[in-house]
Amino acid sequence: MATRKAKMGFAIKRFKGFWNEFKKSKRGLTGVIIVSFFVSIAVFAPLVTPYDPIEPKKDKDKYPSQTTPPKIAGKLCNPAWYKYIPWIEKGSTQLEETFWVKVSRVGGLIFPKFGRLNVTAIDELDVVEGHISRESFDKHREDAMYHYISLAKAAIAPPQIDVVFPNETEPTKLPNPKDFWEPRSAAAVGGSEYGSPEYIAMRSFIMPIYEVFGQEINYVILKVTYEYSKDVTENLELVPDFEFSSEQTFNEEWQWTASTDSASAKYNSDEGYRHDGCVEVTYNPKPGETQAKVILRRRFEYPYWESPQSFWGHLSFRVEGPKYERVNLTVTVQRDGGELVPVLTLSEGKSDLFRHKAIWSTDPVVKETSNSLSPEKFLFSSVGNYTFAIEVSFNGTDNASVYLDNFNMLLYGNSFGILGTDNALGYPADIFSSLVYGTRVSLTVGVLSAVFSTIIGLFLGLVAGYVGGITDEGIMRFADLFLVLPTLPLFIILVVALKTVYGTVSMWNIILVLTLFGWMGFARSVRSMVLSLRERPFIEAAKAAGAGKFYIISRHILPNVFALVYITLATAVPGAIVTEASLSWLGLGDPSIASWGKLLYDFQGSGIAVTRGLTEYWFWMFPACISIALLATAFILMGYALDEILNPRLRMRR
Amino acid sequence: MGLKEYVARRIVYSVILVFAVLTVNFLIFAMMPGDPLRQYISGLQRRITADEYASMRIQFGLDQPLHERYVSYLVNMLTWNFGRGRVGGAAPVVDQILMRLPNTLILMGIAAVLSIIAGILIGVLVAHKRGGLFDTATVTGSLITYSVPIFFIGWLMIFFFAVQLKWFPLGGIEPRSWGRNPPTSIPEFLAGRISCLVLPTITLFLFSVGGWILLSRACVLETITEDYVVTARAKGLKERTVLYKHILKNASLPLITSVAMTFGFLISGAIITETVYSYRGMGLLMWDALHPPDLPVLQAIFYVIALCVILANFIADLLYGVIDPRIKYG
Repeated sequence: MATRKAKMGFAIKRFKGFWNEFKKSKRGLTGVIIVSFFVSIAVFAPLVTPYDPIEPKKDKDKYPSQTTPPKIAGKLCNPAWYKYIPWIEKGSTQLEETFWVKVSRVGGLIFPKFGRLNVTAIDELDVVEGHISRESFDKHREDAMYHYISLAKAAIAPPQIDVVFPNETEPTKLPNPKDFWEPRSAAAVGGSEYGSPEYIAMRSFIMPIYEVFGQEINYVILKVTYEYSKDVTENLELVPDFEFSSEQTFNEEWQWTASTDSASAKYNSDEGYRHDGCVEVTYNPKPGETQAKVILRRRFEYPYWESPQSFWGHLSFRVEGPKYERVNLTVTVQRDGGELVPVLTLSEGKSDLFRHKAIWSTDPVVKETSNSLSPEKFLFSSVGNYTFAIEVSFNGTDNASVYLDNFNMLLYGNSFGILGTDNALGYPADIFSSLVYGTRVSLTVGVLSAVFSTIIGLFLGLVAGYVGGITDEGIMRFADLFLVLPTLPLFIILVVALKTVYGTVSMWNIILVLTLFGWMGFARSVRSMVLSLRERPFIEAAKAAGAGKFYIISRHILPNVFALVYITLATAVPGAIVTEASLSWLGLGDPSIASWGKLLYDFQGSGIAVTRGLTEYWFWMFPACISIALLATAFILMGYALDEILNPRLRMRR
Repeated sequence: MGLKEYVARRIVYSVILVFAVLTVNFLIFAMMPGDPLRQYISGLQRRITADEYASMRIQFGLDQPLHERYVSYLVNMLTWNFGRGRVGGAAPVVDQILMRLPNTLILMGIAAVLSIIAGILIGVLVAHKRGGLFDTATVTGSLITYSVPIFFIGWLMIFFFAVQLKWFPLGGIEPRSWGRNPPTSIPEFLAGRISCLVLPTITLFLFSVGGWILLSRACVLETITEDYVVTARAKGLKERTVLYKHILKNASLPLITSVAMTFGFLISGAIITETVYSYRGMGLLMWDALHPPDLPVLQAIFYVIALCVILANFIADLLYGVIDPRIKYG
């Protein structure tokens, strides 16, 4: 017992001495600090981040409908702190753009005055005497399917379109430009979804030509003046108390009007989907009355210049009373001074249980109801006061009541969290969460494969060095073989093979591959060290004293080699981390876990052009790259400091 | 042992290496469970009859025993008969490899030569003025570039020099405008190709130069305290002469061994660099073959890359034998 205590004391003392030496090395200290920072992040990852990176679903049980809000935010969001940056664009600006437009006949006729012409936007034209030259016309013939003009920015309102006809200098104003203008997302017109985040203001291709005066023309110039706005929008919940759990909030936030006295709305504290309160709209028709309408309104301020990316709405309802008649429910949004836009219309008969309806702004039904291709832009066009309302219309002569609950609309903005969101899995995931959880993967893969390969290298090196002979030759030739082979292609093949066998790549496959091919260099240096140690007098003495091979290796050689083990461990980890990241970056990572490499692979495979990706989505790729570099450098620095301390020859010269 | 025998030994060793690579390739494929034809058949996208299946097995030689398949595999690989893959459609794999191999070799060659020369020069300088601020900064910088993932270096390069400053093209192997108007004169051709080579080369250079600086610094530090260096200084030789004639010459031997090793290391970097820059070389071919994975094509690429590395090793070994007067050709 006493000896063990003494040994412990000695070990502690030795460690203290080593630490005092280590502290002097600034590089080593930096390395230790960075590594411990990442280790603590990896350990406390769930505390640091609010979301699981792989399943970022929020409010899973909040809404009773099958469709819980599938998002935490819009896709490809900016970081939330973008709003504090002064040079980020906010507010609205007027822009003017000029388009050369090729026009051709429809049905072979150009009517002298009010004709209809195909319009195709083109880049440049050779104009000869007021006409496009034949070559240039033919060259653009195949483009004729793209009958649209894409504006550089997203217009928030129908633009002013001026037409300049050939041989005229004064532009002709199109009297009703709204007829020619339809907002469409870039994806809708065949462009990449990420090619242009601004939706494109586009006009349908049939354009009446005014005042052509019988002159045959084949091009016009369009001058489009429009307003666009840009803002950092955030998630917005239109109804905070969507479960209607407090009567006071209901009275404060909601107003209602009824078309007749026989219909009314009130708060009901007993009913509701969870029996925690709801809104009750009742209809007790007087004799002779056949219909009534109740409108519940909630006013809110939409504080952003830019429209939300998308929205999600939810409504639970139960109809009680009428035998045959149906109750019509219409959810609407209206901007002050703007038109009333229906979002959802329902026609429901009576039911014993609550029914739920969830809508998504991309649903075709919603597009049809609101009569717009991008409802989110149509509904929330710009900053202003809005009214969110539900109309309940009763028919017939039966008493009826409608219970409304879980009534809400979530607007998804374009900024979220610390590092924004990606869209890698088809839905947005928080990049910061992925980054934090990725620390775990990198550290696990790096440390485990370094430890395993160092153990293998140590064992084989000791055996080769001490046993010698044919064993030595065999092991070393094998090591040489693998040292020469290019590692990354070999890893790729092995991982692909494992992927073909198991169907997917797991983190352990990568650890296995890295371990199998990571031991050679270390085995070599251990061997050479053992070779020189073997000839030392103290080994001879031990041999003379009758010590066995195992005893000599474990008691005399191993302690002398151990300094090398620490150094190799520290320098092998970064190699493994970077290799893992490279493999994941090439798409050979574990798809089910969030690793740094996967984050970068997603970035690369997202379809965003490099130029845009690097300038606008830098927060997607930059932090992960920096993390890999920092962690790897930290381990290297540690290894380098260890090398300087433990390697006696270097110590002398320092 | 004479020089001839040394060369012969190296040749035998290289041949063994080639066979080892081929065997590893074959084993990986042979050990995979499941029917190798399955993927091929699913690629046909139609149902096949049992007769067709049997004839396919004969056609692909799957009915033969393992050792015969091994032999025919060896023959095919040694005659560079890699068949056709999913990559590049109908073109045989070997044609694609041969089309892209020179691009990779040019990129790697320039980067290797530059990084070796610059690395050794800087390493010697740094070792000479060890302990100073320059030394600390260089070593720390080398450690950082050594551990930074290469695609990050590539992205940074693209961001600064292609996107922001627009000095060089974003990627590719030749300027995009060549699609419409190809170059007419040789200088124009060279200028276009070089402008596309600059960023990948710098990336690969930065990736490998750190290791060379550290290595040559360590090697020089090993020799700088030797007695003959003191003697040379005592003789009154110029410091530069001592440094480059006495120290570097003797420190260069382990460096030359590392030259052989560097190709394996550099090719890993080249694969990723090419992918970042869409530089049409072996790395990009590998990337193409990875999405979706096409193992035989990947193996053929690996085989060709390994051949190049083994050849480079062989040459480095020979050089080693020529340069080092002490070597006993063993």
